[in-house]
Amino acid sequence: MLHRTKRVSGYAVVSIVVITAAAFTMPRGKESEADRTPGLHQQDIIVKGRMLVTSHACGDCHGGGDNPAAEGWLVGKMTPQQEFMIGPCAFEPGAQPCFRTRARNLTPDNTTGLGRFSERQIFNALRYGLRPGETADVEITSTIPGQGNFPAAPKYLAPPMPWPSWRHMPDEDLWAIAAYLKRGLKPVRNQVEDSEGPPDFWASEYTVEKIGPLETPAFPTARETGGK
Amino acid sequence: MPSAGLWIRPVPTDGSRAVGRPGPSVRRCVSFLLATLIATVLPVGVTGATMPPGPAAVAADTLRAPPVLRNESDEPGVVEVTLTAARARLSLIPGRPRADVFAYNGVVPGPTLDVREGDRVMVHFRNELPEPTTVHWHGIHLPAGADGSPFDPILPGQSFDYVFTIPEGTAGTYWYHPHPDGRSSAQVALGLFGAIIVRAIDDPLPASISEKLLILSDNRIMADGSIDLPAADSPGGLIDAENGREGTDLFVNGQIMPEIGIRSGEVQRWRVVNASAARVYRLALPGRTFLHVGDDGGLFERPAEVSEVVIANSERVELLVRGTGPPGGRETFRTLPYDRYVPQTRPADWNQPRDLLTLAYTDDPAVAPVEIPTVLRPVVALDPGQATANRVIVFTQGLINGRTMDLDRVDISGRLGATEIWEIENLVGMDHPFHLHGFRFQVLDRNGEPVLHRSWKDTVNVPRHETVRIIVRFEDFAGKWMFHCHILDHEDLGMMGILEIK
Repeated sequence: MLHRTKRVSGYAVVSIVVITAAAFTMPRGKESEADRTPGLHQQDIIVKGRMLVTSHACGDCHGGGDNPAAEGWLVGKMTPQQEFMIGPCAFEPGAQPCFRTRARNLTPDNTTGLGRFSERQIFNALRYGLRPGETADVEITSTIPGQGNFPAAPKYLAPPMPWPSWRHMPDEDLWAIAAYLKRGLKPVRNQVEDSEGPPDFWASEYTVEKIGPLETPAFPTARETGGK
Repeated sequence: MPSAGLWIRPVPTDGSRAVGRPGPSVRRCVSFLLATLIATVLPVGVTGATMPPGPAAVAADTLRAPPVLRNESDEPGVVEVTLTAARARLSLIPGRPRADVFAYNGVVPGPTLDVREGDRVMVHFRNELPEPTTVHWHGIHLPAGADGSPFDPILPGQSFDYVFTIPEGTAGTYWYHPHPDGRSSAQVALGLFGAIIVRAIDDPLPASISEKLLILSDNRIMADGSIDLPAADSPGGLIDAENGREGTDLFVNGQIMPEIGIRSGEVQRWRVVNASAARVYRLALPGRTFLHVGDDGGLFERPAEVSEVVIANSERVELLVRGTGPPGGRETFRTLPYDRYVPQTRPADWNQPRDLLTLAYTDDPAVAPVEIPTVLRPVVALDPGQATANRVIVFTQGLINGRTMDLDRVDISGRLGATEIWEIENLVGMDHPFHLHGFRFQVLDRNGEPVLHRSWKDTVNVPRHETVRIIVRFEDFAGKWMFHCHILDHEDLGMMGILEIK
């Protein structure tokens, strides 16, 4: 995975690597309503989500950088910097295959943003990389296509969305991000043209062989001290 | 796709255009995949059949209408027909070997059900296929038990009588096709589709106008004559699931590039059915206009002059084609590019117009065109003030309101006789045509813009990222009714919901 992400040029790559390193030992529970950060008030959850969104550089691609007051905050592609070339053409002009992908509108606008998607669908996007518009609004209990509500023909978010790293974040963090996007942002109408991609919508790229399993190895591994 | 890894770079903003701004290069990106995955079979030319010499005034057609189902009843107002679905071996393209197909009464397209308003229709149906099927009478207002929905499969070897009465005021062009759980696309691809014509007692169009039925279908016929039905998990199968199965061979009444004869000045009435699983047509006679006189549920109140007509899969239109060209001329009726696709699976040749048929003028001197009435029939608007429910139907790809269809679940409960407004929102980047069984509706607005041209619809295309509001009255028939995306592959994959009327 690092092999792939280090090819991302620009600002996004720094935060991706940092997140990957930081996320290894986080606990992960079952997804359920009851698990949504007990003890925190809704306002606190949204503020936590805001902190996670700013610290995870969502705005670097989706708009506004790390400044929620900035114009274009999370509204999706407005400038050419929010469009990406995916494939060998990124380095070799004209090489094939070549796909353009675009940062989507994350504000809760009903038709151009996340408004009609549930917080669970946003959670599933961050945990499993599944496009909310193409994935049922259900709890997913497996990472094997066709099992535990995991779609038999999954449709993944287009690269460079670094969900393979962020899937390792704890449940409550992902729910907090979903809460912030759905309830902490004002809806902004900005229709972003769909990303391009292969017919399987990246399913052949986001296999366990290529991105590794969701579960991380037990701590400590041979490369870790165990903290002692 | 080849394991290219994920090379990523923001699109350059400087002067280096080598990697391309949006434009032709984007199409090349997509064609990289599709050129290898879709075998493009170009249509062969006109069949070249020689017509016997006849009276000069009679225009010669090579376009053949499907046979009409024979009425076995001599009782007035009763139409009793026999329809059998069975395997057959037919050559679908002239010169190609015969293929294993499914056919109604041995022909593709199936025979036409030709009835009048008020007729009592009894269809003695028999399933001789090796799998369950149904016959769905698309757009006809009938009892739920006669709707041929997935609730009522007809098993192999079984017979069923579909019995219904054609309501007054519903004269128009409809069609019938299988609607079994999960197999509609394949059964239609294999040859099961036919037209229904409902005639009015007092049709306002002059009887002197000759009438043509044009059933548009597409398919992929391989060199050995067989029908290309890729496995669901193959690259071709994935594309079919995504786009809906789209054919590269375009047929009118099962023929490729047939010819319709017309005399200069003559006006013809074309009833057009889009029986394709997914293809949307943008019909045009370049340089000419049509009078668009009707759609799904029959004639409009007033004709509309148009230069092209978009007809989504399972929609119908009625057009008056005016032979405004000179004697001896030839014109091409074609479908213009229509982008209904997600970028991931947009066919490489989507932006190419495709020819459908030739309009061939006789050498006879022009005749004076017949007078077309400016008012055809009343189409009374349903009153939004009467609506007792406003519902939101959200289309995401493959899902309706976040779910796939479950025959054991009711998604919406409505009251018999109630008027409702449904807001259909398409959140994803491809078109999804919405079809409601059993009840015709009217389109109120699109993206908040009122639709002033009132007509009766049973299917409405909802383009990418758009919202359509419809108004419907649940008259006469209680029961469970399907509503779904009419891209047959999406329907088969569960992009469907169940409305129960009590």
